[in-house]
Amino acid sequence: MRVLLGNRAFVIVLFAALALLPAAANQYTVYVGNLMMLYIILAVGLNLLVGFAGQLAFANAAMYGIGAYGTALLQVKAGWPYWMAAPSGALMAMGIGTLLAFPALRLSGIYLALATLAFAQATQWVLLHWEKVTFGAGGFPVPEPDFSALGISAGYGIYYVSWLVTVALLLFAWRVVRSRIGRAFVAMRDREIAAQALGVDLLTYKALAFALSGFYAGTAGALYCAVLNYVSPEGFDLFQMILHKAMVVVGGMGSIVGAVLGAALLVYLLEVLREFKATQEIVFGALLLGFVLFQPRGVVEFLKRHVPGWDEALHWAPGGAIASLASDESANDDAVTSALTRERR
Amino acid sequence: MSILAIDDVSVSFGGVRALSGVSVHVNRGEIVGVIGPNGAGKTTLLNVVCGMSRPDRGDVALDGTVITGRKPSRIAGMGLGRTFQASQLFPGMSVLENMMTGLHLRSRAGLFAAALRTPAMRAEETALRAQAREALDFVGMGAFASRPGHALSFGQQRIVEIARTLISEPKVVLLDEPAVGLSLNRVAELDALLRRIRDERGITLVMIEHVIRLVMGVSDRVVVMNSGEKIAEGTPEAIRRHPAVIEAYLGRQVDARSSAP
Repeated sequence: MRVLLGNRAFVIVLFAALALLPAAANQYTVYVGNLMMLYIILAVGLNLLVGFAGQLAFANAAMYGIGAYGTALLQVKAGWPYWMAAPSGALMAMGIGTLLAFPALRLSGIYLALATLAFAQATQWVLLHWEKVTFGAGGFPVPEPDFSALGISAGYGIYYVSWLVTVALLLFAWRVVRSRIGRAFVAMRDREIAAQALGVDLLTYKALAFALSGFYAGTAGALYCAVLNYVSPEGFDLFQMILHKAMVVVGGMGSIVGAVLGAALLVYLLEVLREFKATQEIVFGALLLGFVLFQPRGVVEFLKRHVPGWDEALHWAPGGAIASLASDESANDDAVTSALTRERR
Repeated sequence: MSILAIDDVSVSFGGVRALSGVSVHVNRGEIVGVIGPNGAGKTTLLNVVCGMSRPDRGDVALDGTVITGRKPSRIAGMGLGRTFQASQLFPGMSVLENMMTGLHLRSRAGLFAAALRTPAMRAEETALRAQAREALDFVGMGAFASRPGHALSFGQQRIVEIARTLISEPKVVLLDEPAVGLSLNRVAELDALLRRIRDERGITLVMIEHVIRLVMGVSDRVVVMNSGEKIAEGTPEAIRRHPAVIEAYLGRQVDARSSAP
């Protein structure tokens, strides 16, 4: 019974269903299933950064865009094949994401949120206005990746590539958070000063967290440009950022399975609301607010309490998820010490 | 040679002199108590030693190596442990994971070893877990291993925090008011624990403490600070009788008749 209901069982059933989906469903449903996997990658990557490492960054949609545009432009402008352009796009997002660790050394909480949001808006501006390179607001079509060697259509090909990549990245994240690296992330999130005193180097682990989440978002972007065969700036705007954040918060901050759950639920909800486009943003805003206020640790917290066998490690963010991250955790140390450490950093 | 040498350290914040020309030498295996009224500069002194604040002047050497100006994480790696006034247990981790984080510098596994769960990585995790359990047993907290950090009482958090600092076997541990907020029973336990740490583990301790009975009881030597300066240093007995110390704590003796209204 425990084994059948637990978090591992949920993930296995979900991915088995996703693997079988193309055999049973129409093309549109397969497309939605593919989107669901991309959002799982995005939410897991964002949760590594926000939920585990405690860095309240708002640049995930920008990293997603950089991965997608990098992949698309290398194909269109440089003539690279997809299988070379995609990893390059993902690495580009990882590189740029890593650079965000430097402001994060000096800024935390709401200040980091604002700085990364400004970065995201600047990225959006570049995509819109640097028309010579990015083709501007209208976006541009990207060629389909070639799966003729395997004898399957591009749509199914990219679906199964996405499936494999999602499973690999999920397993990777799941294992990393259960290692000394995950413990260093949580230590940094919970008590930055004590983490340093135990030898956790803040620059190393902040850079690693930003690099990982940049790579995850960039990979999702690289896959997205092959799923849609079209990229445009509006795919990576503020609504996307809110969407990623909502997935993490609804699923559960500091939980890998939570991110999977949040992404799956919200993609489903997006589809349900597709006919009522205008209500989407209202529903997502309300959902985010409702969870922050009433269930700050997300759906996972509820499942952990009520479902036997749901035994993910204790890595939840203490207190109200976003609220506690926005307030400076080091404030509980005496004022001089925290002022000093901020200066020292 | 002293294991920790603080030489002529001065720190100021803006116009405020927090420390002026403080020198303290600590011998291997010693327990040194640091006392003084609030605002005397005791915590600033610890912050300088562990690298969280940079002195304007002076140097700190750990076991013969100058550590002034290095990052706190580097200094920790060279064998300096530190506990804090406010609880710094990681609330989002279990007690056992807290202890394993204390072994961060004693473990190696990188990103890909973790992702692949290589045999070496798994063996390391098993060893860390065993060592963490043993260290919890040493402080009598073995039964709490799987509790989340936030679920412990204040006194228990304090004990685990000390254990988490000791587990990596640092050469010197700085304790910032370990007894603050503890009940009398707990203070007695802490007293016994500190002696065991020194005697059984050979770890040198430097402790800021306001609970005079504790600090006078366990310290081999006591340093007294006031207004950013060291005003006295000596054995607990000598310190009790030192005129400058009595003055710092109780004020100058005045003629009772002339000061009466």
